[in-house]
Amino acid sequence: MNLTLNVNGRAVDVDAEPHDMLVDVLRDQVGLTGPRVTCGVGLCGTCTVLLDGEPVSGCILMAPLAQGKEITTIEGLPEDDEVVASFDRNHAFQCGYCIPGMVLTARDMIDKGHACSREEIREGLGGNLCRCGCYLKIIEAVEEAAQ
Amino acid sequence: MTQRADQTRPGDGPARAYDGPGASSAVRGINPRITAQISYSIDSTIPGEWHLRIIRSAIPAGRVTGFQTALLDDDVIFLTADDVSDLNTFGCQIADQVVLTREPKFVGDAIAAVVAPTARDARVAASLVEVDYEAVPSVFGEMDAIAPGAQLVHAKHYTSESDSAYFDMRPQDGTNVCHRFRIRTPALQGRDEPEVVPHLDDPDDALADAFADADVIVDEVFHTPAAAHVPMEPHATNAQWVDGRLEVTTGTQTPFNMRQDLAHIFGLAAEDVRVVVPFMGGAFGAKTFIRTEAITALAARKAGRPVRCVLDRDEVFNEVTRHPSTVRIKLGAKRDGTFVAKRIWAYVNTGAYADCGPGVAQKMGYAGVGPYRFDHVAVDSYCIYTNLPPGGAFRGYGAMQSIWAAERVVDMMADKLGIDAVELRRQNLLHEGDTFCTGEVMHDARFEELLDDAAAAVGWEKDGDRRGKGVVVILKGMQTPSKAEARIELLPDGRYEVQAATADIGQGAGEMLTRLAAEYLKVEVDQVVVCAPDTDRVPYDTRTTSSRSTHMMSRALADAARDLQVHGTIGHGYVSNDGGLDPDTGQGIASSHWHQGSASAELEVDDETGIISLSTLYACSYAGKVINKHGAELQNEGSMILGLGTALFEELQYTEGQMTNPNLSDYNIASALDVASIRHRVMEVPGGEVHGLGETAVPPVPPAIGNAVATFGYDVRDLPMTPERVLAARLGDTFQSPTGEDPQ
Repeated sequence: MNLTLNVNGRAVDVDAEPHDMLVDVLRDQVGLTGPRVTCGVGLCGTCTVLLDGEPVSGCILMAPLAQGKEITTIEGLPEDDEVVASFDRNHAFQCGYCIPGMVLTARDMIDKGHACSREEIREGLGGNLCRCGCYLKIIEAVEEAAQ
Repeated sequence: MTQRADQTRPGDGPARAYDGPGASSAVRGINPRITAQISYSIDSTIPGEWHLRIIRSAIPAGRVTGFQTALLDDDVIFLTADDVSDLNTFGCQIADQVVLTREPKFVGDAIAAVVAPTARDARVAASLVEVDYEAVPSVFGEMDAIAPGAQLVHAKHYTSESDSAYFDMRPQDGTNVCHRFRIRTPALQGRDEPEVVPHLDDPDDALADAFADADVIVDEVFHTPAAAHVPMEPHATNAQWVDGRLEVTTGTQTPFNMRQDLAHIFGLAAEDVRVVVPFMGGAFGAKTFIRTEAITALAARKAGRPVRCVLDRDEVFNEVTRHPSTVRIKLGAKRDGTFVAKRIWAYVNTGAYADCGPGVAQKMGYAGVGPYRFDHVAVDSYCIYTNLPPGGAFRGYGAMQSIWAAERVVDMMADKLGIDAVELRRQNLLHEGDTFCTGEVMHDARFEELLDDAAAAVGWEKDGDRRGKGVVVILKGMQTPSKAEARIELLPDGRYEVQAATADIGQGAGEMLTRLAAEYLKVEVDQVVVCAPDTDRVPYDTRTTSSRSTHMMSRALADAARDLQVHGTIGHGYVSNDGGLDPDTGQGIASSHWHQGSASAELEVDDETGIISLSTLYACSYAGKVINKHGAELQNEGSMILGLGTALFEELQYTEGQMTNPNLSDYNIASALDVASIRHRVMEVPGGEVHGLGETAVPPVPPAIGNAVATFGYDVRDLPMTPERVLAARLGDTFQSPTGEDPQ
């Protein structure tokens, strides 16, 4: 089926099966590499994108359900995004594979005022896994960006 | 290839001026890893490539008797063991594998493959193939597999010519033991002993006199389960044949071993294989030696076009695991606390194929001896085949399994003697100039400072109330022998290019190389670029494992910089660390430098639920000199967090050899919710040499927690320390795994 997706402020026509997941369409047809599949069951957060500003797991969201909504990936954040800058300043990454999902989740937490304490930040990031184990610096980065 | 192989890469991106130690990055501007501006293996593609799916055995042991393929589309390419008849067997330390097998040895063994124009077509095709099997008896637990008369996983034992087989193997004929490693300190050598000790209650009569001077003996058995590496990026490989040359782009920690092994499998000269390594989204040991590369290369050869293979998450879980192990430790001491003798039996479950299990077994053996003085040491490590998925390299490389046992036993000894557990350790620590059980004389020994630091972190007071507290000190080795070469080339634009095979797993290899080259060349970091590991372009390096790269490559680079200053435009550097251990006595050089660390924990245990609540988890690792402060901290923190998961919840479970939790819903790894208690230190000393730091803090974490838990009366022997196991340990029971396959 033909779909028109609004990705990072741009309308993109794609040809997808009804059951194709959003993350696969974004990677294979839109050519983005920021959303990534790790667990495939919506638990690890590496596929996180913002759908009308809300973080969703792209690996369990069927692409047609994203029609008519604004999809934001890491590639769509402004160059001077404060969360991105804070992750950089705090060296809050190693391999980087989980980081786009972390940044987008943190962006939403900060926008909603849900990053006011370390405990709240840990709760908010609970669905974003990082096997390198960069959590301490990621939490510091989010705390700093929220201030 | 569309991948970045031919491009130079400046660390991770455009470099920025070096602003002294502690600068957050050698990269100018926002690091491209944050904004997805780098390409991982999975992002690499070759135009026109088809897609591979592997068809895997549904039985743990037996024979494939037929395939039904009538439903496959005409354009689908189907590969079976018939397509590998001209290929050589492989295996990094023992050549016991074929690319596709007729005789599967674990659930998940590759028995066939399909290649189709799209990933979707390949997935559908794989689901349409039906397989007929003839099952044979199987064996899963390491103690079952070493028992006399056990079903043999392999009918005979093999050897390997690979560079990775760096010591003599001691396979035990007629058993599942593919390698036996022993340490015997001088007075214990040359005894008449059984070849294999299959029982955990063996009286060990031949060596009993080693304990003659001991007033107190602690003799206990511990177990660690299989665990998963869980690199966030799955294994991803692209392969093509160009004018008879094989080109593979793949996420691997072992580019030169890969080149050699692929050349051997396909009967090519090493120069006719090119291995290019893009950035990896983590590996932790999972991306070592042949994984998806040989099957993808075979498929590309048969298809006559490029082929891509990306594993699903459940396949990543089954591809390679951490070795389950059973470790028995017997420690003898005098009444005053002086250690007399240590005896270790390590039973290492390497699954269906040896992979690097023999090396893991060896390191498990000597790491369990610990940083202590003994009159006598005897170790037996058995690398044992079973019908589980293969065990392989895993962050910590065997040290965690035996240190879990050994450091718990030190606390048990302290309790028996009525001596403070930290003081008992201090009393027996190795110091500068002391001799380790391998005959090596210790140098740059920092164990006492590490022990004191960890004890202070939990407010340990000598002979004070230690309820809820545990302290541990460890040593682990680095790959020895090994070689590292590096080249630095002055480019026409005046910048310097570092050519080195150190793979960027995510640990910051590019940044490390950039900073070091800039320091040695006395230039700004933005004058240094680092090329991607590409075996056509970079010189030989043993591999990116065992926390060796910063230590070895720093010296190769310094050598290259000196050479460049003499010769003008190209400088070549080379270092080797020589050594190795005799497999029958364990005498020799285990490690050209020692990774030294400590950890401590302070916690509570809920009496009703068995839940452990950590208030402090601390680790101190000796770094000597730090190249990149943030990178060093991240490695230490990451190691601790992995150790925390190992201690409390990570365990692969099997039913009749079938993994039952190969997903991140049923196999939990640590999240941000688990790290509130973590603090740590990377220990530097003025003038210290560069020490590896990639995994030192993994092994001490589980026993630090275990020792603290034991102060409440919960004597947990089996990892992970789940609430059920904690409660069962209070009752004095041994926890039985629900699968009934717990080897104890």
